[in-house]
Amino acid sequence: MFNILKQTALGIGVATLMASTAIADGHSGPYAPYADTTLVVNFPAHPHYDAVMKILPEFTKETGIEVEVDQLPYLKMRERQTLELAQEEGEYDLIAYVVFSKADYVYADQLENLAKYFMNPRLSDPSYDAADLIDGYVYNIGFAGGDRGYLEGATGSLFGIPYGSETSVLGYRKDIFEKHGLEVPETYEEMLALACQIPELEPGMGGLSSRAASGHHAAHAFLLHLNPLGGAIFDDEWNPVVNNAAGVQAAEALKTIVDCGPEGAVNFGFGEALGSFLNGDTAMFLDTTVVAGQIDDPDKSKVVGKVGWALHPMGTERASQTGGFGIGIPANAENKDAAFLLMQWLTSKQGDKLVALAGGNPSRFSTHADADVNAKFPHMATFGEALAYADPDWRPIIPVWGKINADLGTTLSKVLTEGLDIQEALDGVAERSKAVMEEAGYYTWN
Amino acid sequence: MAQSNTRQNPAFYAVISVLVIMAIGPVLLMFVNSFKLDVDIISGSSGLVFLPTIQNYEKALCDVLWYQPDHVDFCSLKFGGAFINSLIIALISTILTLVIGCMAAYALVRFRFMGRDTVSMSTLMVRMVPPAVLLVPVFGLWNNEFCLDKDGLIGGAIREMVGGRGDVCLAGTHSGIILIYVAMNLPFVIWILQSFIVQVPRSLEEAARVDGAGPFQVFFKVVLPLIKPGLAAAAIFTFRIAWNEYLLASALSDRDTKTVPILIVNNMSEFNVEWGVIMATGMLLAIPPIIFTLFASRQIITGMTAGAVKG
Amino acid sequence: MRRSVANRLTPYMFLAPAAVIMAIALLYPLGYMIWGSFRDWNPSQTIGEAEFVGLKNYVTLWNDPNFHESLGVTLKFAFFVVSFEMVIGVGLALLLDRDIRGMSVLRTLFILPMMIAPVVVGLMWRYMYHPTVGTFNRFLEDIGLPSVDWLGQHALMSIIIADIWQWTPFIFILSLAALQSLPSSALEAARIDGATGWQQIVHIKLPLMMPVLIVTALLRLIDAFKVLEVILVMTQGGPGLSTEILALRISRTATEFRELGVAAAMSNYLLMLLLLLTVAMFAFNRLQEIRAARTRAAAEEGV
Repeated sequence: MFNILKQTALGIGVATLMASTAIADGHSGPYAPYADTTLVVNFPAHPHYDAVMKILPEFTKETGIEVEVDQLPYLKMRERQTLELAQEEGEYDLIAYVVFSKADYVYADQLENLAKYFMNPRLSDPSYDAADLIDGYVYNIGFAGGDRGYLEGATGSLFGIPYGSETSVLGYRKDIFEKHGLEVPETYEEMLALACQIPELEPGMGGLSSRAASGHHAAHAFLLHLNPLGGAIFDDEWNPVVNNAAGVQAAEALKTIVDCGPEGAVNFGFGEALGSFLNGDTAMFLDTTVVAGQIDDPDKSKVVGKVGWALHPMGTERASQTGGFGIGIPANAENKDAAFLLMQWLTSKQGDKLVALAGGNPSRFSTHADADVNAKFPHMATFGEALAYADPDWRPIIPVWGKINADLGTTLSKVLTEGLDIQEALDGVAERSKAVMEEAGYYTWN
Repeated sequence: MAQSNTRQNPAFYAVISVLVIMAIGPVLLMFVNSFKLDVDIISGSSGLVFLPTIQNYEKALCDVLWYQPDHVDFCSLKFGGAFINSLIIALISTILTLVIGCMAAYALVRFRFMGRDTVSMSTLMVRMVPPAVLLVPVFGLWNNEFCLDKDGLIGGAIREMVGGRGDVCLAGTHSGIILIYVAMNLPFVIWILQSFIVQVPRSLEEAARVDGAGPFQVFFKVVLPLIKPGLAAAAIFTFRIAWNEYLLASALSDRDTKTVPILIVNNMSEFNVEWGVIMATGMLLAIPPIIFTLFASRQIITGMTAGAVKG
Repeated sequence: MRRSVANRLTPYMFLAPAAVIMAIALLYPLGYMIWGSFRDWNPSQTIGEAEFVGLKNYVTLWNDPNFHESLGVTLKFAFFVVSFEMVIGVGLALLLDRDIRGMSVLRTLFILPMMIAPVVVGLMWRYMYHPTVGTFNRFLEDIGLPSVDWLGQHALMSIIIADIWQWTPFIFILSLAALQSLPSSALEAARIDGATGWQQIVHIKLPLMMPVLIVTALLRLIDAFKVLEVILVMTQGGPGLSTEILALRISRTATEFRELGVAAAMSNYLLMLLLLLTVAMFAFNRLQEIRAARTRAAAEEGV
């Protein structure tokens, strides 16, 4: 609100000074030079960006900048971007990307460094308050060039801003927990014990539904437990350490969860895992925050109003996953300045609150604490707290990760379905990862 | 025939009714559901007792409606545009395939280029190539090789006229998609038309030639009118493939040239499935093929059997 | 004189457009694909920038368990789909090969499933298979049976059923056409000999239809390897790889894993497999034709 007032005031000032064309357009202030520009943006089909679609008319009304959205399922989006960004001149002025793409795009010099926009006094809004953005996400999705090459750090700089931030939270059935006098788990030990206790207390119900299907689902589920239990895929010199004690413990945790999970859990992808929780077949669900909307949607869920939320339980530390999207400006874009203005508006306090109220996932601490937002979505405060523990180095964001991830996923699936020995399986993963890393040149300096 | 005594057998008619229900049941189900609200679809008052609504269609067609329906917050589905793209692509590729295929079939028959065996063999070979196999090369070629430099003469002129950015490539244009559809359908069309042209009596053509008609005139004035049924069958088959195809179109189209199948697949994200609207878009996509089936089933069957039985 | 030159050139002019289009949009791409299959090629590179790696892509695939699984799924799918459709389609044709009123209406209704877009077929079945709101589980619930996890545990079976629904009519129509063009003299002769309906089918009708049936089966088999959209919409290849047929895996490798070279190599494997099947079917067809000719001659002689 304050922003709008200020812009109007500024606009009047400018207008009286030089009777600019801005008046004719009915727009003024920093946006005036770009009124009637049409931006082409590429967003994913995703609940957060559906909410964004609802607030974009507000942006056009306020600034006079038209936005044309090419909304695609996110794999299609990635495919489209690969093609567009490689052109000399691209169609898109602003793109949303998943964190994986960051490494590729920045490495290929396809994303604009945002420094020059934040330095430009005509573009940069002084009240933006960047410190309010959830830092784990800024580091995870926005930064590159610092620690490990893909994180923040002494040599890092900003290429994008998180928009649509997800992390992992624990959803649990309040009614079941109350019925049996169970405590909401705080640690991994408690959670694993509960996961196997629930099928005994409630026959036919699984403990915790998790993804486990062969491929990236199994790998995702494993990684979810790896960091909280103190493990990592690589040490600081890129040597695979996934087969150390913590790694084995994480794989054991996954196996326990799946064994005590609902029927058919070994084949669950994300959709099935969520489906079984929505259907009331399990008492707990540990995955992304983005599902909150569906759990409260009576059209999709049989557990409306029965679900409570808690932080991702603690192992040796708290470390929840970092997922979701960021937005950035392609280096081959046509209207970069106007694109920055849109980006700034969307991620500003005002924009973040608007999108949260429209059902999106906010990216600012202040929005998670906002009274209006919490009145509409009571789970928001917990989610905000969870985001503070989001671990930017949740998984390696390196170009060869796709290969290692696929291997990890297939091998873990064998552990779950064919009873392969965990230590042996992870030793194999480590060995093969080493070869992949070697080939990609990560040991050149050793 | 001897079967006439079984004609009254009620069991026989029961079997037929079951078959009919199985064949058209799913289509009817989709039709009915496209007039239901999501709540009705999900709550499953599985009968026909519901208040029909055109909301789903309004939502699907929001970009071409002359009014703004109250229940649509923002028009996310650009169905109208995609429908027009589908029409353009399907119609032009059908016409092109027919014209080119007809000429080729005529030449093959009348000038005895290759035997029918060679043609049916190569038709079969091309039919063997799954569209998925063409995906990689077509994606690469259409995006990188089949391009005009934007500073070149023709490329520059095109950029000047239609706008857009970058080199002018086949990918992302209607013509790019049309080209691959024409190529995919040509062998089949040539094959079918050949079997019809063979039946045109040579004497008719000779007579026209004696009257002083050139080869083109003979073709257009004498041969074409006689093979109309074959043309109809070939047209329906080509149109059907161009209208229904998803994979190659999705690799080659951009946001302005999306066809309806792409829009439907894109709209089924794993996060949010709006059954009513999806059924409505599916129904709209299915309408042209349904119309063809109802009014030209004889030609379709001719085309199908000419393909296999005579081959 | 000029006229005759024009006449001699006419056939070439008639053929040229088709030849040009086939060359640039089919033959050249196929060659390009074979060329690309020897390269480590990702979608943001042009083929010239991609590194030549020889047979590496082929070897990788040869040893890739996921590829094996996908190949297995493809073969299973094709086998079950073609056998069920042949049995049901030919059975129906034999059953309905009689003089009934409204046969043309019936045929019209039967071809409807084939004409509808695969994408739409996929979404209709995805709805009907839906675990809670779907038609099938509702029905099972209504009659008091436990619900079935159609697209989960039984995904492959479910997509096979959907394909049978869509394509059995194709076989039905072709077999019906074949049946109705059988020489009536042979059937007449058999009837005079006192052959029962069943004997007529086994000894006369089926052997005489065999050449057509083989071509039909071959066409269906080839098409079964092309099915992609229906599965994409229904299961996206999941759960796991249980319904990921090769066509789908090629498209995922190219777009999702961004390995165009590997996708091209996989396409080549698929083409080789199809070629092998086609040649085998042709050889079999020749054999059958010879036998059918003998049967026909015997049947006509045996009066």
